[in-house]
Amino acid sequence: MSPEQNSILKVSKLVKRFGGFHALDGLSFHVVPGEILGLVGPNGSGKTTAINVISGLYAPDGGEVVFDGASSGGVASHKLVHRGINRTFQVPKPFLSLTVRENIQVALAYGGATGTPPSIAELLEEYRLKEVADRPAADLNSAQQKMLDLTRALATRPRLLLLDELAAGLNPAELDWIAGRIKALAATGMAIIVVEHLMGFIEQITDRVIVLNAGKEIFEGTLATAVREPQVIEVFLGGEHAH
Amino acid sequence: MTYALVAGVLFGLYFSLVGIGLNLVFGVMRIVNLAHGDILMLGAFIALGVVGIAGIDPLFAVPLAFVVFVLAGVLLYWVLVPRLQGSANPEMLSIILFFGLSQVIEAVTTIFAGTSERSIQSRLLGTVFTTIKVKWFGGKAGGAGPIQIFGQGFPAPWVIAAITSLIAIGFVYLYLYHTRLGTLTRAVMSRRDEALATGIDVDRVSAAAFGIGLGIAAVAGVFAPFMFGSVTPAFGADATVTSFAIVVLGSLGNPLGTALGGVVYGLCYMLVQTYLSSWADLLPYVLLIVILLLRPSGLLGRRVRVA
Amino acid sequence: MHNASKHLLFILAPLVVVFALLPGVYQNHLLLFNFVIFLILAQGVNIIYGFTGYLPFGYVGFFGAGAYGFAIMVMHLQTPAPLAVLVGGLVAVALGLLLTPLLRLSGAYFAIANLAASLAVLHFVANPALEGITKGPYGVSLTGTFNPTHAYYAAVIVMALTVGAVIYLKNSPFGLALQAVREDAVSASMAGVNIVKMRVIAWLASALVAGLAGGIYAWYVSVFYPDNVFSGEFSIFAIVFALFGGVATITGPIVGVLILYGIYNLIGFTTPQYFQLIYGLLIMGLVLFLPAGLVSLATRRGWHVP
Repeated sequence: MSPEQNSILKVSKLVKRFGGFHALDGLSFHVVPGEILGLVGPNGSGKTTAINVISGLYAPDGGEVVFDGASSGGVASHKLVHRGINRTFQVPKPFLSLTVRENIQVALAYGGATGTPPSIAELLEEYRLKEVADRPAADLNSAQQKMLDLTRALATRPRLLLLDELAAGLNPAELDWIAGRIKALAATGMAIIVVEHLMGFIEQITDRVIVLNAGKEIFEGTLATAVREPQVIEVFLGGEHAH
Repeated sequence: MTYALVAGVLFGLYFSLVGIGLNLVFGVMRIVNLAHGDILMLGAFIALGVVGIAGIDPLFAVPLAFVVFVLAGVLLYWVLVPRLQGSANPEMLSIILFFGLSQVIEAVTTIFAGTSERSIQSRLLGTVFTTIKVKWFGGKAGGAGPIQIFGQGFPAPWVIAAITSLIAIGFVYLYLYHTRLGTLTRAVMSRRDEALATGIDVDRVSAAAFGIGLGIAAVAGVFAPFMFGSVTPAFGADATVTSFAIVVLGSLGNPLGTALGGVVYGLCYMLVQTYLSSWADLLPYVLLIVILLLRPSGLLGRRVRVA
Repeated sequence: MHNASKHLLFILAPLVVVFALLPGVYQNHLLLFNFVIFLILAQGVNIIYGFTGYLPFGYVGFFGAGAYGFAIMVMHLQTPAPLAVLVGGLVAVALGLLLTPLLRLSGAYFAIANLAASLAVLHFVANPALEGITKGPYGVSLTGTFNPTHAYYAAVIVMALTVGAVIYLKNSPFGLALQAVREDAVSASMAGVNIVKMRVIAWLASALVAGLAGGIYAWYVSVFYPDNVFSGEFSIFAIVFALFGGVATITGPIVGVLILYGIYNLIGFTTPQYFQLIYGLLIMGLVLFLPAGLVSLATRRGWHVP
């Protein structure tokens, strides 16, 4: 069986417009369970828009999103959460007046996690939130808020996890630690899509990357080969440096 | 029909003046000034005072009301707003805070002026012009009669109010687009947080906008006795809702959009008065809701819906 | 003991017992009745504002709709009063359904649109063209059902149900999810919460209790005009009482009503404008100095307030 056939998410010819601007302009790619896929590209190339469409925040204007064999484009976010998609946000927005524990409880109660729901104690422990568990989320620093956002997503037991710049703003020690956690999640069979600007981090964790430019994929393969591709270099460095 | 349309435009220009101050305050501070109508009411009482005490043309109340309320606005800003902005949800709390202020204003006015309806004879407005005409060009002194437009007569105060409104809107435009403080004001309106980050003295800009907003409201109030027949201290609450309808129609947060909103509102108002008068009371409310739902950004404007 | 049972036993039960027994020892029944009505309305505001963040500036629209629902059933169909009260509640729910599109608006826009909606309903009901149905501006007189004693106990029952609903919200994942929607709708939907459904349920629940309160009010006073039952004071008082105590708690709105409405009645009714002045100043002071309500005095010290 080819990897395309057992993919959990397949995006084909996805189009998303904002007014006259084509944020996504025929984007296609797929992910298989247990794989960590990186989405890279210059600012405005459509990475976050792709995540927003896949997680149901925006309905696509064209093309198709198939999750687990069923079309999922334009389906409401909470339903996609129940089907097994979840994500983190570039700027996390936890429920500020609720405690950290209550934040996770909401996702546990409404996330529709299949099988045994993860235990709050374990999530708090694993993502270093145990000490602040009963404090309001407003008291957390930004790294802790990112971890809370991640545990909120994990509490729903996603089979596809979309991470939008999770690593930005973490210190080197934290980066190594979170890279290990993401790899461990993938090892359980979770498909993970990572949007990130830190190329070292991308290289460390991804199996494969998709390079986006102007809402379209221009390269697919490992990051190591991507950086030798003239088209990719041109996109990242601009035309005048390419030759 | 011609009558209703012309009257609609005249009222509409006036309505723009009524709404523009509210919009300036909301646009700059994200503060809902529920006491806006009460400032109008106070402006009307300044006009009553000018006529009652000094016995001169109520037009003299225009500069007086403006200056008094610009100062009052700046003062009020420093007392109330910085404290409010420090709270968790300033937009919501501003509604309640300014409701409280509106109650205080209404109560104080009632204590001093009673609850009876007050009006000014409409021929008193604009007497300054006829006096000048008589002095310089001779001719007979007399009250300003109806003014002829497209072969129909309209009460002189309507026309004077509309012209004053045009001038005032012109000044707001000049302020926003051709002064340094105005440019800063527009910067704060579009991105308050970034304006703060770039070192703009947001408080100074906001205080100025708050003062000007209140000043214009008071100027609009000077004409209220002529446009609505009479005023009472309780006039403020209705005026606030009407102002909101006008502002939302034009687009909240865009003061010049209010000019358009006012004219559209004025036309609707006159047409409903002419053809469906028993349901005319419903107009501002229904119009407000329909516009918010169908075109929440107003006729020109920005997003207000939630996800 | 479970938290919810504690709240039922130590908050709801004493409240109901006190208000059920007070008429026997205190003569001013109208005052007691008004206390109960404001307890219902303040908790209704708590449900929609405290838990979901929508400020219902036209909350009285539901109250008035309930009162007129009651009046129309009694006038035209000779319905028994308790049934007419239920219809009043349903009329408010129907109005709530009609207004659900307003929930798409955020912040101040919702508050203003809701205010406009309540005024639109007032002008609709009071329109002389509808005199045959609502008696227009001339008011209704319902002498046939006049029974203040029954109406009072009906109000106590509705108050118990409303406070019970808030206790449920405070102790259930449902209430937690509502607060999550209030804090951030996008994150809430990513926690699997159906945000539209949640908001509509809270909105209709708060409409229902205000409608029932309005129906009971009509039953109690029996003669009223549109301006009475659509008076903006009901909205404002309910919001201010709830805020003064502290929203998203069970006890906040109760404390708010008991203290503020108590003071209101102590000051007396002789000169309404002095009164308006005092409560205007009170509202301003509240927002400036105690925006999170009385309970914040305790929570700031780290005490838990139910």
